[in-house]
Amino acid sequence: MIFHIAKKEMREIRQDGRFQIASAIVLTLLCVSLGIGWQQYSTVRRQHEQAQAQTREQWLTQGKKNPHSAAHYGVYAFKPKSPLSLVDRGADQYTGVAVWLEAHKQNEFKYKPARDANTLARFGDLTASSVMQLLIPLLIILMSFSAFAGKREQGTLRLLLSMGVPRDQLALGKALGVAGGLGVLLVPAALVGSAALVLASDTGVFVANLPRLGWMTVSYLLYFAAFIGISLTVSALAKSARLALVCLLGFWIFNGLAAPRLFSDLSRTVYRTPSSFAFAQRMEAGLKQGFSEEAFQKQVLAKYQVQRVEDLPVNYAGLSLKAGEDHGNEVYDRLYGELWDTFEAQNRLQQQGGLVAPLLAIRSVSMGLSGTDFAQFRDFSVAAEKYRRMFIDVMNDDITHAPKSEGPHLGDDNLWAKVPAFDYAAPPVTTVLAQQTWSLGLLCFWALLAAGSAGWAATRRLEAE
Amino acid sequence: MIATIAKQEWRLLKADRTLAAVVVLMGLLVGYSLYNGSSWVAFQRQTLEAAQTEQAERLDKLKSTLTAIESGRLQPKGTQDPRSASVIGATSAAPYLAMPPAPLATLAIGQSDLYPYYFKLNLRSKQAILANDEIENPSNLLAGRFDLAFVLVYLFPLVVLALGYNMISAEREQGTLSLALSQPVTMSQLVTGKILLRGGLLLGLVVGFTLAGALVTGVDLSLGTVWLRLGLWMALMTLYAGFWFGLAVWVNGYGTSSATNALTLAGAWLGLVLVLPSVANLIATSLYPVPSRVEMVQAMRVAGKEAQTKGSLLLSKYMEDHPELVPAGEKPQADFASLSYAVQMAVDKQVQPVLDRFDAQVDRQQEFVDGFRYLSPAILAQSAINDLAGTSLGRYKHFSRQVDGFFEQWKGYFLPKVFAKTKLGSGEVARLPVYRFVEEDDAAIVGRVGVVLVGILVLTGVVLGLGYARLRTATLVA
Repeated sequence: MIFHIAKKEMREIRQDGRFQIASAIVLTLLCVSLGIGWQQYSTVRRQHEQAQAQTREQWLTQGKKNPHSAAHYGVYAFKPKSPLSLVDRGADQYTGVAVWLEAHKQNEFKYKPARDANTLARFGDLTASSVMQLLIPLLIILMSFSAFAGKREQGTLRLLLSMGVPRDQLALGKALGVAGGLGVLLVPAALVGSAALVLASDTGVFVANLPRLGWMTVSYLLYFAAFIGISLTVSALAKSARLALVCLLGFWIFNGLAAPRLFSDLSRTVYRTPSSFAFAQRMEAGLKQGFSEEAFQKQVLAKYQVQRVEDLPVNYAGLSLKAGEDHGNEVYDRLYGELWDTFEAQNRLQQQGGLVAPLLAIRSVSMGLSGTDFAQFRDFSVAAEKYRRMFIDVMNDDITHAPKSEGPHLGDDNLWAKVPAFDYAAPPVTTVLAQQTWSLGLLCFWALLAAGSAGWAATRRLEAE
Repeated sequence: MIATIAKQEWRLLKADRTLAAVVVLMGLLVGYSLYNGSSWVAFQRQTLEAAQTEQAERLDKLKSTLTAIESGRLQPKGTQDPRSASVIGATSAAPYLAMPPAPLATLAIGQSDLYPYYFKLNLRSKQAILANDEIENPSNLLAGRFDLAFVLVYLFPLVVLALGYNMISAEREQGTLSLALSQPVTMSQLVTGKILLRGGLLLGLVVGFTLAGALVTGVDLSLGTVWLRLGLWMALMTLYAGFWFGLAVWVNGYGTSSATNALTLAGAWLGLVLVLPSVANLIATSLYPVPSRVEMVQAMRVAGKEAQTKGSLLLSKYMEDHPELVPAGEKPQADFASLSYAVQMAVDKQVQPVLDRFDAQVDRQQEFVDGFRYLSPAILAQSAINDLAGTSLGRYKHFSRQVDGFFEQWKGYFLPKVFAKTKLGSGEVARLPVYRFVEEDDAAIVGRVGVVLVGILVLTGVVLGLGYARLRTATLVA
């Protein structure tokens, strides 16, 4: 019985001219956005890999110079593009792409792509994720707003119920019908997406990303299921198809347009972001305080039990540089840690906003699994900073232990090669899932709530006329 | 006749709950968004004030240090002589160059959360100056702000459509349409009466709430430019509302049911407000891809490395070109500051073509977008509102040109002194170049917004024309 209803529902949907046009448009947008995403991903990945190799080459071939000059010369770290960014660009456009790793300073990432973008960029990116988060729910509404309300207006609902079709089966059949209609669209798009991913990288990358892809598929299906359930509920409860449509469109606008902005405002109010000026001033003050060269010198002399710096068995310059770095690192850890914790608290609050707008939950999950959210940007920043500290340490150690009284000490290719290349691996999917517990939970909640309410509305509240 | 219809409509609306709902909704939306806008403006003002204070304190300190050295109370020690031009120009006297929020900045946050509104100058490269921006959570930048422009460009059309999607179809479905038209009134008059009343009411609400909000948030209404901008803004809103009413009329002329109308209009809104801009963006970025910043970083680094290795050569070449800078009675001799600035100048020169190529491509992309925007009233409205609020890319570029100019002036003042190793005295502090932001001409704004108004006028005219033409053949019964 269910399948009869589902089949009939699907046929009706597929024969609907509006659905045909709308789904053709959505499918085109989905494929185009995947194609463009693929092209952008492969270009950027190539550029970043080349640049990373080049900066390494520059480091290795910088010639003879003082190790501290080498530390000042430093290296660049370029944020790698994650393969699944072709599905969801997330916050990628709003985070810098390159950071200069040099002595004494934890620099900020520079060059947000958004600043070089044209003025339309703020209207929203056309990516597979935006199509799935915004347009497909609209398509679902289009397919199902009249499922009950419309049938009632036509009088066919009464006919159907008088034939003794169980109401729960009717609801389930309708839901399956809509899902089937959606499947016609999503299956080809998923194939295109997978093909793009394989083409853009290689099968190894594709296989490595399968868990992320799997979780992403599940999350989006939950999101769509929620919308199907909500639409059927409203359609069953509303007095007329028109009213059902207006209510559903209202919810869609709140979910897709208003809620992201409202919750971003709210999170900013609850967890204040400092101004860049105030942050820089605190940084400067922090770096100036708490470290005294004199006290440190005394401490070193005492440790080695000598009177003068010249009598030390090691080079004082290296020790002093290292102590300066350590002090700086402590300040950076504290201040950047605070700032980034603030961002994460803001993002968590936005995730929790998924309680009233499921888009916030799916957006967070999707960005997380695509590796384009703030948490993974932070992960990369931390890895780059760790690398900076490591190679600065190598340089300072070399200065400390350089043989004394041989004129100016110079490092050479052997020293540069002692520093391994910067190698970054994105966090495993389990880390991402742990960060997204709230969102995943809320998606399940929405799907269950919507399914339950659709069943309830169809069995208890559905009136034949 | 039209007045009678409007009066009748007014009675109907008053009896309905719709009116109260629209008033409350618009009040909430406008109020909240203006509050958001004004708190962002306040945040910027506070930051700029703090920067000004810091700068003034720094200059005072510099002056007293220099006076102390001149009177012999203080001996300069260490490598960083406070009197040296490189120390003063790069740090102790480095000014903040600010673009204060424009008078109507509360109307639209626009691009102002993305582009910096102040820079701290140094003597190094423009790139280093420009790269700094306000701290913001990337997720928040992605979400965008709930500002008045968002309400007006995205949500306002929906309210228009909600008021207009069934203006004929509902009457047709209730059977009152043929009744109304049995009176000496034409369909066009009926629709005009409806649009005038609903549109007038809605515009009155938006303008009224906005002006009230502007007053509360402290917009200076005594300035001529404020009234000019507000006038342009009202014209824009009228045309924009006209476009969406026109669309509703057009769709209503086809004789389809209210639900179908709602669906069609929602689709049109989606296409024009959400899909078209992002498709245009996609086309623009595919046709005119911006070269990678990563490659630019590498180009700068390569140039820097080359210049570094022949630094002393570059300096001596510079000194040969400028023999007047060689300190009297001294052989040209390299110190650290002169060397590094000579290197910097060489790098700047070498990297300039890369930067120019970059900027040219960004400009080409923007030009394409500027042409494309005439297809969507939403893009047009957004760009005009940003211009009127002073949060557009246009004003940022205007600011950025001033920063360029002042940076050259600043370097022109200090670098020769760096190379000549001049020591600056306390009297010099008062003679340093002073930056002052020059606001955009009203003419420039009128020019940019004027084109947009003409664009929307044409779109609105076309849609209204099509709509009214369609009405003549509309059916009267469902």
